[in-house]
Amino acid sequence: MMKGPESKSERGFRWALPSISILGLIILMQLPYRISFLDNLLPFLPMAAVYYWGIFKPNLLPVSAVFFLGLLQDILSGGPLGMMALLLILVRLFVIQQGRRFLEREFLFSWLVFIIVALIFGLATWAISSIYIREPQYIWDALGQSMLTIAIFPAIVWGLGLFRLMLVAEKR
Amino acid sequence: MKELKHRFSSGFFIVLALALLIFGSNNTSFVNAVRGQITDFFVPILSVASRPLQAVDDLIDWTQQVAIVFSENKRLLAENAQLKQAQITSSQLAIDNQRLKRLLNVGEGQVNIIAAARVVSDSESPFFKSVLINRGTDDGVLKGQAIINEDGIVGRIINAGSSSSRVLLATDINSHIPIKLASSGINMILEGDNSPYPKLGFLPIGEEISVGDLILTSGYGMVFPPDLPVGQVLEITEEGIKIKLSAKLYNLNYVSIVGYEIIRSSVTRRDDRSSKGKK
Repeated sequence: MMKGPESKSERGFRWALPSISILGLIILMQLPYRISFLDNLLPFLPMAAVYYWGIFKPNLLPVSAVFFLGLLQDILSGGPLGMMALLLILVRLFVIQQGRRFLEREFLFSWLVFIIVALIFGLATWAISSIYIREPQYIWDALGQSMLTIAIFPAIVWGLGLFRLMLVAEKR
Repeated sequence: MKELKHRFSSGFFIVLALALLIFGSNNTSFVNAVRGQITDFFVPILSVASRPLQAVDDLIDWTQQVAIVFSENKRLLAENAQLKQAQITSSQLAIDNQRLKRLLNVGEGQVNIIAAARVVSDSESPFFKSVLINRGTDDGVLKGQAIINEDGIVGRIINAGSSSSRVLLATDINSHIPIKLASSGINMILEGDNSPYPKLGFLPIGEEISVGDLILTSGYGMVFPPDLPVGQVLEITEEGIKIKLSAKLYNLNYVSIVGYEIIRSSVTRRDDRSSKGKK
């Protein structure tokens, strides 16, 4: 499911596609959906995208881009400045430390590792937010966001897979 | 070498993010100004991106209205008759009220609607309850002003850019709004706790309160004008008293930015001048 042609070079604006896709997901997360339960349960879409691009195109998603995208999410959401920047960098670092070949093997394996990453990510947002607010917050909200992110991970992989196809330059 | 460079850049940005987390939480004017400028840039994008959602919302509203149009018309006719009676009574009370205020020389609160704004972004976080609106300092919006909609209070401005502002919702844990019980006038504080139902704080010992009691703004704190609808008492437990807000904060579309100040009557101003002259 996650395999595809990766050997061809990227040309033109295509080098920015991973960052653009994450920017799009950040904007998508900030839209007013006007659904009562969704404001507590919106999935961590940019985190899933950083995980995905960290496996397949880490060279096109430099740590500086991850930092500024995370910072932008913090600014637009009104959350603690630096929280998402820090956590997204750590997700990218984890994926790269594991090595592409390790995670690229099978979709199911990648998904299983993602479950652990998403749960730790949810716990970390809960911990940082609680410290920032100086009052322990309701942990199940963050874990609920993690669960939803895990559940829709295949859909995110499919969507970003379409983006990845655009990265393959035509033979000239 | 490449590996070393990568490790160094990751370390650098991790330290930078940590520094922002520690020092950015002070919300200095510089940090707020930068936040404001960046949100100013993104608000038009968010505004365009939220149009399809708005269209879907409008369609759902329209369908619901069409479905209930006959029963709603019948209900509104009955309500209109009641309101006409109430209007006569209230205009008599308003005249009495003005006369008594003049006699007591009570400072009159002046409420200014600064602007109407559209909600273009929602923080969508369980821990931080705020929204972005498409009006800023260019439209006369200032930090601290109250935000209301047709149902009641919504929150207050915590950061204003030139063309956008961030509104801290009444449900956020940092929100504290002076309120009163409509029936008895007991003053209390509405405290957000990041749940949809904020709690009541500082209820005096021995005072009675029951489910369904109406809550209004008290006007203390000079942010919210007095007597605006806040909500109703939802439940009373050992853990506290929960309030169901009149405004649906998850379903905000258009809001009003309100400025509030006390205008002393001409009698008071004249007295002030004469006392200064004597000194």
